[in-house]
Amino acid sequence: MKNFFKLLNFEINRFMKLYVVLLVTVFVLQIIGTIIAAKGYMRMANNAVLQGGMSQLEFIETYEKFSISNALYSVWFLGPIAIGVTALLFYVFFIWYRDWFAKNTFIYRLLMLPTTRMNIFFTKATTIMLTVLGLVAFQIVLLVLHNNIIKWIVPKVYRIDLSIIEIANAFEYLSIIIPNGFAEFVIAYGLGFSFVVVIFTAILMERSFKLKGIILGLAYISASCLLFLSPYSIQYLITGKAYLYPEELFIVQIGIWIISVTVSLIVSRYLLKNKVTV
Amino acid sequence: MIEVKDITKSFGRKKVLTGVSFTASKGEITCLIGVNGVGKTTVLNAIMGLTSTNSGEILIDGKKINKESYEKITFIPDTITMLPTMRIHDAFEFMNDFYQSWNEERAKELLTFFRLQGHERISDLSKGNKAKVNLLLGLALDVDYVLMDEPFSGIDIFSREQIADVFTSHLIEDRGVIITTHEIKDIEHLIDKVVLLDNGIILKEFNAEQVREEQGKSIIDVMREVFRT
Repeated sequence: MKNFFKLLNFEINRFMKLYVVLLVTVFVLQIIGTIIAAKGYMRMANNAVLQGGMSQLEFIETYEKFSISNALYSVWFLGPIAIGVTALLFYVFFIWYRDWFAKNTFIYRLLMLPTTRMNIFFTKATTIMLTVLGLVAFQIVLLVLHNNIIKWIVPKVYRIDLSIIEIANAFEYLSIIIPNGFAEFVIAYGLGFSFVVVIFTAILMERSFKLKGIILGLAYISASCLLFLSPYSIQYLITGKAYLYPEELFIVQIGIWIISVTVSLIVSRYLLKNKVTV
Repeated sequence: MIEVKDITKSFGRKKVLTGVSFTASKGEITCLIGVNGVGKTTVLNAIMGLTSTNSGEILIDGKKINKESYEKITFIPDTITMLPTMRIHDAFEFMNDFYQSWNEERAKELLTFFRLQGHERISDLSKGNKAKVNLLLGLALDVDYVLMDEPFSGIDIFSREQIADVFTSHLIEDRGVIITTHEIKDIEHLIDKVVLLDNGIILKEFNAEQVREEQGKSIIDVMREVFRT
């Protein structure tokens, strides 16, 4: 366990510089987006009310009050989220391949550590999950900041204030990354974790069997995707409609998650111990 | 003792090792000799559990390699095994964190021996100095066996001499060493046992001292005889 935490600390430190750059990018772009949206709205309101002779009420009836939603659907807000998701998806592969293909082949050192090789696997998976959760937490903090910036720029009469929970509930894409309740959290992040573990297993297949491993890995990812989708696809194929209650669907999903993670861990352990090549 | 028993290894259809068997004992320098691409590095990788074999068995003091083995045996590949962004003392800290067999005193001694500075960043080092750091990280572990892959490859004559000096120092004594090289001139007189490898097959295995005394031949003489026939 001590070695796990030492390796985890090491892995996180290796990603920290890039991660900070990612967070700063998300911060800067989103804040600029909110300021542009709020300032734009206020310019429109001032033009209409002060120069156009429209009353405040008429303006609000015509253009509606400003809320955080005016900023959330802009490219300034969604773009950084897309950048973050893409960067972390890329990192799922990069976290392994850099140890083989970087200037210095660090994989020699990692595989020769006097600790179980699964620690390498678990520390890399934990690093990915921690960085994802860190990015989500950062996004929540940013939402609070967005609200405050809006309050600072847009007077009360022109705006609707939404709480973080209201924002998450109102916008579908945000409710995926900020789940509304424990069950949704388990489904979203449980499936996310199994996805990471499946990809890691496919990478180890490639690193163990090279060309054959690529085919094997792709087949493994495809089979896992079919398994993940099976609770939905099977019930619609058989009955043409939703057959399971949401609670039953939740249990089936947890079952699939456990099966997929267990199989991936067993295969990965075998590959790391017996097949992986420097 | 390291026992390599009848190992075979193929990469796809290409057979890299065929029935390779030999032993290496503590206090002995065993040299795997052969031209490039004959399977020398694959043998070392297989001993360290860094590549799988198709058949055969490798034992270290009677046991298959496992996580505890890495406190008893170390491998110095021909590429540095630390991150380029690390400074030498960061690499020391990393080794100290993970290896019980890490000997800080010896590491400092080696640092002085190789005339390196702890604050130097690995990426800034010359090829020769990188090779020295690599050697240092391996030799500063209190292990019974040291495996070295081409330690003299592509480095200048002065660095080569410094590395060769290690073999005559107390840093090696009592350890079992397996070294692969095709440049044996600098250490020929120190080698105890020679394994000549060609196309994944052992052509000849002999005791260097015995051949020297009984037949008056050097290792290079025997190599000429074997590889030219």
